[in-house]
Amino acid sequence: MMHRKAIRVGALGLAALVSAPVLTAQTAPFPTQPPAPMPLKPAALPPFQEATLVNGVRVVLVENHRNPTIAYRLALPAGDAYDSKGKTGTATMVAALLTKGAGTRTAEQISAAIEGTGGGMGASTDEDYLSVSGFVLSNAAPIAFELLGDVIARPTFSEKEFELARTQTLSGLQLNAADPGFLAGKYFRAGLYGAHPYGATATATTVRAITRADLQAFHATRVRPRGALLVVAGDITMRQLTTLANRAFAGWTGAPASVATLPAPPVRRTTEILLVHRPGSVQSNLLVGNLAIGPADSTRFAAVLATQVLGGGSDGRLFTILREQKSWTYGAYANLTRVRGIGRFEANAEVRTEVTDSALVELLAQLKRVGAEPITASELEGKRGAMVGSFPLTIETPQALAERVASITLYGLPANYLQTYRTKMAAVTAAQVSAAARRVIRPQQSLIVVVGDGTKLYDKLVKIAPVTIRNADGDVMQASDLTPKVMATAFDVSQLKASRDSFVVMVQGNALGTSVVSVEAKNGGWTMSENTNVMNGMIAQRTTLESDAVLSPVSLQQGASMQGQQTKTDVAFAGGKAKGSAQTPSQTGPQTKAIDTDLPSGTIASDALQMVLPLFRWANNATFTVNVFSAGKGTVEPITLTVVGSESVTVPAGTFDSWKIEQKGGEAAVVFYLAKASKRLVKISPVGQPIELQLAK
Amino acid sequence: MFISTTSRLAAILTAGAALTLFPVAGVMAQTVPPLTHESYTLPNGLRVILAEDHAAQVVTVNVWYNVGSRNERPGRTGFAHLFEHMMFQGSDNVKKGDHMSLVERGGGNMNGSTADDRTNYYESLPSNRLNLGLWLEADRMRSLKITKENFENQRETVKEERRLRIDNQPYTGAFLGAITSVFDAKSCFAYAHETIGSMDDLNAATLDDVIDFHKTYYTPNNATLVVTGDFVPSDAKALIAEYFGAIPTGPAAPDVQCDQPFNTGLQRKSVTDSKANLPAVLVLWRIPEYKSADWPALELLSTILGQGESSRLNRIVVRDTKAAVAAQALAGIGPRRGPNVFGTLGIANQGVSPDSVEKLLQQEIARVGTTGVEADELAKAKNAYRAGKVAELETSMGRAEALHAATMFLGDTKAVSTNIDRYMAVTIDDIKRVAATYLRPDNSTIVLIKPETKTP
Repeated sequence: MMHRKAIRVGALGLAALVSAPVLTAQTAPFPTQPPAPMPLKPAALPPFQEATLVNGVRVVLVENHRNPTIAYRLALPAGDAYDSKGKTGTATMVAALLTKGAGTRTAEQISAAIEGTGGGMGASTDEDYLSVSGFVLSNAAPIAFELLGDVIARPTFSEKEFELARTQTLSGLQLNAADPGFLAGKYFRAGLYGAHPYGATATATTVRAITRADLQAFHATRVRPRGALLVVAGDITMRQLTTLANRAFAGWTGAPASVATLPAPPVRRTTEILLVHRPGSVQSNLLVGNLAIGPADSTRFAAVLATQVLGGGSDGRLFTILREQKSWTYGAYANLTRVRGIGRFEANAEVRTEVTDSALVELLAQLKRVGAEPITASELEGKRGAMVGSFPLTIETPQALAERVASITLYGLPANYLQTYRTKMAAVTAAQVSAAARRVIRPQQSLIVVVGDGTKLYDKLVKIAPVTIRNADGDVMQASDLTPKVMATAFDVSQLKASRDSFVVMVQGNALGTSVVSVEAKNGGWTMSENTNVMNGMIAQRTTLESDAVLSPVSLQQGASMQGQQTKTDVAFAGGKAKGSAQTPSQTGPQTKAIDTDLPSGTIASDALQMVLPLFRWANNATFTVNVFSAGKGTVEPITLTVVGSESVTVPAGTFDSWKIEQKGGEAAVVFYLAKASKRLVKISPVGQPIELQLAK
Repeated sequence: MFISTTSRLAAILTAGAALTLFPVAGVMAQTVPPLTHESYTLPNGLRVILAEDHAAQVVTVNVWYNVGSRNERPGRTGFAHLFEHMMFQGSDNVKKGDHMSLVERGGGNMNGSTADDRTNYYESLPSNRLNLGLWLEADRMRSLKITKENFENQRETVKEERRLRIDNQPYTGAFLGAITSVFDAKSCFAYAHETIGSMDDLNAATLDDVIDFHKTYYTPNNATLVVTGDFVPSDAKALIAEYFGAIPTGPAAPDVQCDQPFNTGLQRKSVTDSKANLPAVLVLWRIPEYKSADWPALELLSTILGQGESSRLNRIVVRDTKAAVAAQALAGIGPRRGPNVFGTLGIANQGVSPDSVEKLLQQEIARVGTTGVEADELAKAKNAYRAGKVAELETSMGRAEALHAATMFLGDTKAVSTNIDRYMAVTIDDIKRVAATYLRPDNSTIVLIKPETKTP
């Protein structure tokens, strides 16, 4: 019924299926075509039982005593969308801390208790829900529910675990900031959803604004029994389950959490491009899409198939054309997200910088074509066959089944959704797929986010659609900002003198290495050397930078070692150009980049910052901008240095009254502390990292 | 250039949190509930095991060939795995690449893998596509397309896999080298070399080797076919007879020899690992094969010592003394029909000498031999074992692998349900006894893994 394609079936194969005799193999020729599917049997799903606990928690049980195991998921409407403005990341941190101390147990005791049963337990959030999920042998159900009750109703939120979680979150964000895929998703959601909470992404600022009290308040107001859903699948009866759950949740009471009225997401009438400028990027990340449909929309089956035909896996059109035919990318896919509100249609590809515009034009053409031209029978059968066929594999275990059952309730799907899933999917016609495609895939009203090197992309992209430019921090830029302008140098070279500064590298409060920076007059100019060694050579770096009398770079040589990868950088500067090569470490070994970059006059090397910083006329609120050449990226970018305050700083070398100077732009956000009297750098703190350099002598 | 230095360090510290050292030991079987099955052999020698189960509308077709890296000869290491890749390059009726797309279009998933003792190939499918899985496995058993072009192409793929998964990972290469080095390359070459093979040997392999290997090992009489899940046995038998019945019997594959003496005196080695940042110590002991009566106690001991946050080595060597950043223990990296390795590993903390890590590891092993373990530690290890086995049997794929393992390593399909009894019967005295019997200095090899000295 599902597969109408006339695959020739060996007569013997059919006979075997019908009458099932054991054939004598010698007489049967081997079938040269794959056998046709055998008839599909109706889905055998156990009935769901429902109950409500005394405190209002809604319970769904899929009872099955076949194996002595239980899987559960407790979901509450306390997802990321409920973070208060300016404190995005609160729900995620609440989830992270639930299992890090609860009831009478510490984090270690909770993990030991779970390990002792041989089971598992974890908490997480998505846009709408906070969930605690777990898996245990049924004889360990009492301890599993005791732990569930503790983590959900009696989390400790200890100061120590809070600080640890915040540091880990900030480190994670710092890594994300360098990830173009993450940036694309962040600006795509922000652009599509506007002020709707689905548009918000945690940043270092919002995470630093979160206090332990905020987590406790979020827990107290949002983690409430009424509105919570507990789905359990496996070897337990409803009576046993309600007894254990009522006991575990004793004392957890309260009125349902308020449901916020969410602002409507903006309506988009035209297609526009947001270009996120990432100087030096050799690839562009493309993310194209629009708001689509709600989770229970009746078009969903056809819309999923349209998305699959367009960009599902390695035989979707996007993959076949952009990768196999054009070799523009390693992968190109499309997806339809499911959330409680309006979900998104999105298509993505990572492409080489030179072919970004061609790839984008082709991608948009494919988005249009999937609705405009009939879907071929082979494509429809392949994708429909995969969706229908893989269904039983997606509910094979109690954990997987509990997940799917939970989503029925959480997304307001019909009660018989799972029972009818395959028949409904199998019944979708090519015409329905085309109609759904026209509804959910709208290349004429799309947001296109391109994360890449704006200097190479802007002129090409404006020919496709109107372009807005932002930097990675989200600040709006003008096209003219993409090319660094000649700037008068704001620092006073006559103040420079020979020096030698030794720093201690502190990691989470432990001294784990040293960094020595010296400056000396040489060859009519200045030479700066740096020698850093952390954790016995786990990270090591030596730099020699020769500059002329006004600190314009002459030559840069750098050798580094990181986790065993050796990298080398060698750049010569002459006639307003930087030429040479730079290597950066990567998962597959050092990546070499040829450098041939124009240098506006007044540009310094990023490595020279430490030498140049003391030469500005610092004062309260003073701010200076300087063009900086980065060898790692092969680019010139303006960076801004601003005094944000004065602080007394104590480091191994002593206590210093210092300017606190923030750097924006460049490779990473950094805060410098410069002693007011001696003009020496006394502390260097990269933002959001558990690391700093402190002056030792 | 402090800026990029500091952000790199943060990246490492974050990545370090996910550091895993030992591959997870994969094994088998339990008793609750018993796994009913039937088994028979086709006239051409293909062994068939069927385990019908209608709980989910899923079937797994899973073929184990009785060949793995243990069958390789000197000069051709890595060949069993290289051959595994060839099995996805097309056969008489399945064009290159079609194997995967046919399974995906049917809603299934598939793969293959090579271990010391076996090579497996499987498809998990919706139950109405049982015929597709059987047809695909039969076609490549009977008519694999071996061409020069496919072979060269897969040789490069395998070399790249070695670079990415082993050569570029800290400790992995040193670890795999160490656990094979405890065996005598002359009397037990089978287990004295690595499954992934050496680059030289991969380069030396020829097309004739591939053809010979297929003739010798990829015969119905050297394979076992397991079908698990939602099917009617008479239907499955008919299809199996139709698809596999006419594949000719091959010559018997040669036996594997392994004569490995124990207790031959302590050996010390040291290796340099250019990807490692901190020195590490491996203490390794030879232990008997999987079906030995002593195995379950050794395996549970490895859990007690070194699996999980609350394990002994993590508590003592990592948390309390802070001597190591990570410490683990394991009994083999999978079951075998020959001798195996028990290992403990500690990665020395910054500023701690590997000698003191070694002393702590040895001290904990010695303590087990003299005072045994606590009753609750043993109970926890048994719970973890039982939960793992129960979870394994929840999927048709897990059941297929468990039936294969029972057949190959314990010589009895019924062991799929009874093997767990061996583990549940282990006592504290058993643990003490096996520790004293095998984990003794004159049966050990100590390997120091040194980071490369870095002077950029």
